[in-house]
Formats: sequence, structure tokens, C-alpha cells
Amino acid sequence: MSINNLAQTSLLERFLSAREGSASRNFFLSALWWSLWGMGAGMLAGTEFSMPDLIRGVPQLSMPHLRMWHVNAVAIGWLSMGYVGSMFHMVPTLCKTKLYSERLGNFTMWAWNILMIGAFCTLLNGNTEGREYAELGAILDVIVVIGLVSVAFNLYMTIVQRKVKKLYVSLWYFLGSLFWFPLVYVIGQRTFVALPGLNDAIIGWFYGHNILGMWFTTVGVGMMYFLIPRFTKAPLYSHGLSMLGFWGIALFYAPTGTHHILQSPVPEWLKAIAVISSIFLLVPVLTVLTNFFMTMRGKWGQVATDLPLRFAVTSCMFYLVTCTQGPFQATRWINWYIHFTQWVVGHAHLALLGTFSFILTSSLYYCMPRLTGREWHSQGLIRAHYWLKFLGFLLMMTSLTTAGLVQAAGWALGYPVDQWGLALQPYWFLRAISGFMIVTGQCLFAYNTFKTLYTPRATAGATVAAREVKV
Amino acid sequence: MYGYRLGAIGIVTTFFIIIFSTVLMPMVLFNPKASGRGNDYKVIPLSIGDAARGRQIYVREGCFYCHTQFTRIQDRGYGPLVKEGDYVYETPHQLGTARTGPDLTNEGGRFPSQWQKAHLIQPRAVKPGSIMPSFSYLSEHDMNDLVQYIQTLGNKRTVTAFVTPPDEYLPTTPRGRELAARKNVDTKADASANAGRGIYTQNCAACHGLEGRGNGPNAITLEKKPPNLTRDYYKQYPDEQWFYRISEGVTGTRMPRFQSILSEEQRWYLVAYLKTLPKEHEETIDKLDQLNEVEPTHLPVLTKQVYEPHHGKE
Repeated sequence: MSINNLAQTSLLERFLSAREGSASRNFFLSALWWSLWGMGAGMLAGTEFSMPDLIRGVPQLSMPHLRMWHVNAVAIGWLSMGYVGSMFHMVPTLCKTKLYSERLGNFTMWAWNILMIGAFCTLLNGNTEGREYAELGAILDVIVVIGLVSVAFNLYMTIVQRKVKKLYVSLWYFLGSLFWFPLVYVIGQRTFVALPGLNDAIIGWFYGHNILGMWFTTVGVGMMYFLIPRFTKAPLYSHGLSMLGFWGIALFYAPTGTHHILQSPVPEWLKAIAVISSIFLLVPVLTVLTNFFMTMRGKWGQVATDLPLRFAVTSCMFYLVTCTQGPFQATRWINWYIHFTQWVVGHAHLALLGTFSFILTSSLYYCMPRLTGREWHSQGLIRAHYWLKFLGFLLMMTSLTTAGLVQAAGWALGYPVDQWGLALQPYWFLRAISGFMIVTGQCLFAYNTFKTLYTPRATAGATVAAREVKV
Repeated sequence: MYGYRLGAIGIVTTFFIIIFSTVLMPMVLFNPKASGRGNDYKVIPLSIGDAARGRQIYVREGCFYCHTQFTRIQDRGYGPLVKEGDYVYETPHQLGTARTGPDLTNEGGRFPSQWQKAHLIQPRAVKPGSIMPSFSYLSEHDMNDLVQYIQTLGNKRTVTAFVTPPDEYLPTTPRGRELAARKNVDTKADASANAGRGIYTQNCAACHGLEGRGNGPNAITLEKKPPNLTRDYYKQYPDEQWFYRISEGVTGTRMPRFQSILSEEQRWYLVAYLKTLPKEHEETIDKLDQLNEVEPTHLPVLTKQVYEPHHGKE
């Protein structure tokens, strides 16, 4: 866009553009931006485990503050903004129509970015509510709810205006999540209520687990349902199985939160519900994955050449690992042994980084050319991104899992936590290296995106069809 | 079209069933009363600092990401177990999820306040190998309040009920009176304790550890761990209870019946020694001066004045 064009466009057009696909693209770019900050903070916090005296006397860079920001930046910045960007592309595509309001979408994008700036300023200064995964202050909570409600409104209206009669299974997942998650968020924040300690913990873990179960999983699986048939150009194996998976997740995911406080003095019946639903969760997970892997029949070879598909398939594989690990860890005796250890941290990264960050990356690689009509700048950078992220994450997962098992063994033999901590030094060092690899991969990703979007097109006519309407 | 409406109704109904069972039901059914073992931070006297404000600083600095605040049955060395009523005043809850550092449920009084403060300023100076970040950037005011909060953790969770030996060991029965009549060892005397020390080293230390902390080399192979005999709880044991445990062992554990190994006199000597075992966390806030004398490093004095050289003016 030349200077003249810029001058001609009005301020409204520039900040609240109504151009098709602009909201989705802007959400993706913001997600990418915040991912660098979030993952960078995670890497620095991880390094401080190995070198605790690396940074002294700077409250903003002390490990707990970095951790608050890391969790919120990757969960609310990177993953959630990327999810909204993906849905803004996928829902209209599946409905064969336009997004209900690009302007509203762009407005949400600005609100969300202001929220992230607010989170950056408050969390790093320790301005927190002291509730894990619900650290954001009252004003920021309100902005999140406004953002979620306007996204939900925008997408519901898009679906109302759809041109196809039948709703594809991805839309079921998106619709469900957009209904559940704003409510879960409002219930889970406890910003304006002060509950007595253990009730606070029960609600806190209802929310803490359902930000995963009713948002990251359901939207992420919806994205997998969208992407895998697209990449492989194969029809979905079974619609019936996909419905079974959807209702299974809807029923069994939400009550599992109490397995995070399985050994605290909360009511036993609540723990029983949590453990039983955690185990039942294997049903929808295996259903969903059977569906994906059967869709991939005869197409596995494409993984070698199609890099976005490779991200998606890796995501499915990690989903299998994380969702067999989860119910296993939630049973009482395993929980007795490994609760409080680093394996729990490893499991959380397996879900959010291994599974959902990979599927979001795949979605970004898929959607961006279709939103902007530009081919990716470099396939080599995508390949480098894949291997850095995959190997980096594999290293992180194995080091944290091993660290957790070492910790659990030591505690079971009666070693005090602080003395046994010395045994974990090598694993924390490996984790810091893995963080460095993942952040490097993400930087290459951002560079590739920047070069793709902001360099003049080298060859004319090398565009991709702006929107595919085939399901 | 009807199918989608049915689906939408299904989504809404499912969601509200779950909200009902896991959010509303616990709110209605689970209302623990204050047990008196937790602290109401609003009514703690301001001796050194303000514990309520200290708790806010604990939250602000994100201590709960690495330190948990609930003890479990299998935890060793973290003091009394928690009950549901202990948490009534804990809002927001600080139960925590990972033990990168030790559990702090009963941390109050374990270390002197000066130690806590030095530990906050440079953890590795007083605890080599610790990976806790340095909180030297906290102001003097913040740090005093935080230390005050830490010192109140678990200070009301004291033991109130004690076990008693079976009747045949007590002077209320003829057998108990016979036992007392045969007892020719003064269990309060240092000489008896010294006599018991050798017996302890030869027969008990392999499992119970040299200082009775339950960390002897054999302990790692035992499924039921030997107890930490330095805990406050054991300081309440009457002689007869010690004697009963030594004589008859502990059912369900590998603790043997020493009445077939040691003579009655030897067991009494052992009782005398066990009563002299150190008391866990004996050095508390009241004995700071003596501690500073024996510690080779100079610990900061707990005052309102600016201490840290690198902190500058407040």
C-alpha cells in the first residue's frame, strides 16, 4: 500500500477495517506478537531455575512474576487470540458466507490487544488476584468478557447467515465453546466474590481445568476437524463418531477440575466425580483420534512434504499422549505418588504447547495464505520452525517428566523437598535449553510471516485462491 | 432444522447439569466451620508486622507457584495434617500446585524471623543449593510483614489429643503397679539417658536415625516409615507410653517387639534417652539472641530501619 493510498483511507478504515479477512489476519498477527513475549518470558523463567542469581533486584523479572505473565500471555494472548483468528476464518468458510461484521471483529482485536498490554503492565509488577490461571485484575477480566461475548455474537450471527444447511462438526465445537467459555470465565474469576478458602479452590479448579476443557480442547479439536480433511483432501471418516466425541467431551470434561486438589480436604464425592469423569474422558479422546487417524488412511505419506499437515499430525500425536497421561495421573494412587512434581508441569505443557500450540501453528500456516493471497516466504523456515519446536518440545517433555519421576521417588523415600531439589538441576538445565529452541523456532516463524506479508510480491500470479468453499 | 435446535438445547442442558453438580452443589453442601486451627488474619496482633498485609505480599510475589499450603498423609516433616475448617479465612486460596520449594503449611516458628529475612534477601546464603529467587527488592516494610505472615502459618495447628498406653502399663491396674515396682531406673537422670544412648545406637538408629528423625539408612526400604521422634507430639509421651511402644512394637509396621530382645531395665534406659532427643524447631522467635551468638554469619536484625545495602533509600 503506497503512501497515497494510506492518506486516502479514512482513520476508521485503517483501524476498524471492513475488508474481508482483515479481522482474522489481525488476530493471527497479534497472537504471533504476544507469543514471542509469552514464550520469551517462559524461557527466561526456566533459565532462572538453573541460574537463580541471573537477575537480582528487578521485581519485574523475578521468576513468579515472569511465570504469571508467561501463563497469561500464552493462554490469553497466543492461544486464545490465535483461536479467535482461526475461527474468524474457518466459520465463514464452513458457512460459505462472509464474517458477520469485520468491523466488530477488528474492534474485538483492539480490545484484546489493550487487554494484553494491561496484563503485561500489571502481572509483571505483581498486580495479581492470586488465583492460578485467573490472575488478571477486575478491569482486565471485564475486557476479556467483552471480547469473548463480541466474538461469540459475531460468529453466531455468521452461522445464522450461513448458506449451507448442514453444520459441519467443527462448527459444533466452535458453537459449544463460544457458549460455554464466557460463562466458565465469569464463574471462574471470583473477582467480585470472596469465597472461603476451599470453596475458592473448588471453583478455581473448575475454572482452571475448564479453560482447557471448554476452550482450548474444544476449539482446538474443532480446528483439527477442519484442517485434517482439508490438508489430506479426504472426507472425514465418520460423522457419527465425531458426534460421539463431541458429546463425550461436553459431558465428561467439565466436572474433572477437582482432580487438581485430590488430596486436599475437599468433599470426597466431588473428588469421586472428578476421578470418574477424568477416566471416562478416554472415550471421547480415543473416538476423536480414531476419526482423525482413519481420515488419514492412505495419506500418511503426505506428512513428509506437507509441512502444515505435519504440524497438525504432530498435534494429534501429542493429544493422544496428553490425554492418556491425564486420566492416568488423575487416579488416586498415581496422584498420591506424582502430585506436586514437575511431571504435572510437563503434562500442562504437553497439552497447551504440544497439542494446541501445534494445531494453532498449523492453522496459521494454512489460513494466512488464504487470507492475504500470498504464498509463504520460505518453506525452509517453516521446516526449521517445525524441527526446532518439535525437538525442543520433546526435550522439554522428557526432561520435565523425568524430573517429576525423580522428585516423586525422592519424596516417597522421605527426602525433604529442598534437599532433593539438587537432584533436578540437570533436568532444569535441559528445560532451559528446550525453551531456547522453542523461542528460536517461534522467532523464525514470526520472521517468515513478516517477510511473507510485508515484502513486495516476487512473482505475479503466484496467489492462492482467497477462500475455498469446499468442505 | 429441528435437529440443530435439539443439539443447542443439549449443549445448554449439559452445561447447566455440570455447573449444578460441580459448582452449585459444593457451594451448598460444603460449608466447613472454622476449626480454630487456621488464622483469621484480621485479628492477629501487630507484633512485628501486619500478617494480613504480609499475606497480600505473599500473593503479590507469587510464592504459591512454588510453595504449597496443604499437608498430606504421606508427607514427612511438614507437621500436622490440615482439616477442612482450617481454610475458612484463606481467600484467595493458596493451596498451590507444585512443590518446587517446601510446603509452608506449618512453616511458622520453624526458623527465627531473622533467618526468614536473610533467606528472602539471599536464599543461598542460609540454604545452600536453594533455587529460590532473591526477593531483596522488597522494602523493609514489605519484608517484615511477609515474615510476620510466614510466622503465623500453622501456629494454631497444635496437637490436643494424645494416646495413652494400655491399662496394664498404667498404675491403675495390678500389672501396671507391678511394672512400676520393678522399675529401678530414674528416667529423668542424665546417667540413665547416657546408658540408653548406646542401646539406641545399636538397636534403633538403623531405622530411626541417629537423632531420631526417622531418617536412618533402613528407613528407605520400609513401606511404613519410622516416625520423626523429635516432633512436638512425642514430647508429650509419658514414660509408660514409650515403654509400651518399645516393648510391644507397632502393629502394621516393621517396628519389632523389643521385649524379647532387651531386658526391662534396658528398655527403661532407652526411655530415658528418647526423652532427651532434640525438639524439632525448638529455636523459634523467642530465642533470637542466642542464635545470633552461635551462628557464624551475621543475620540481619528485625527492625523497621533500612537494612539492605543495595536497596538504597525507601
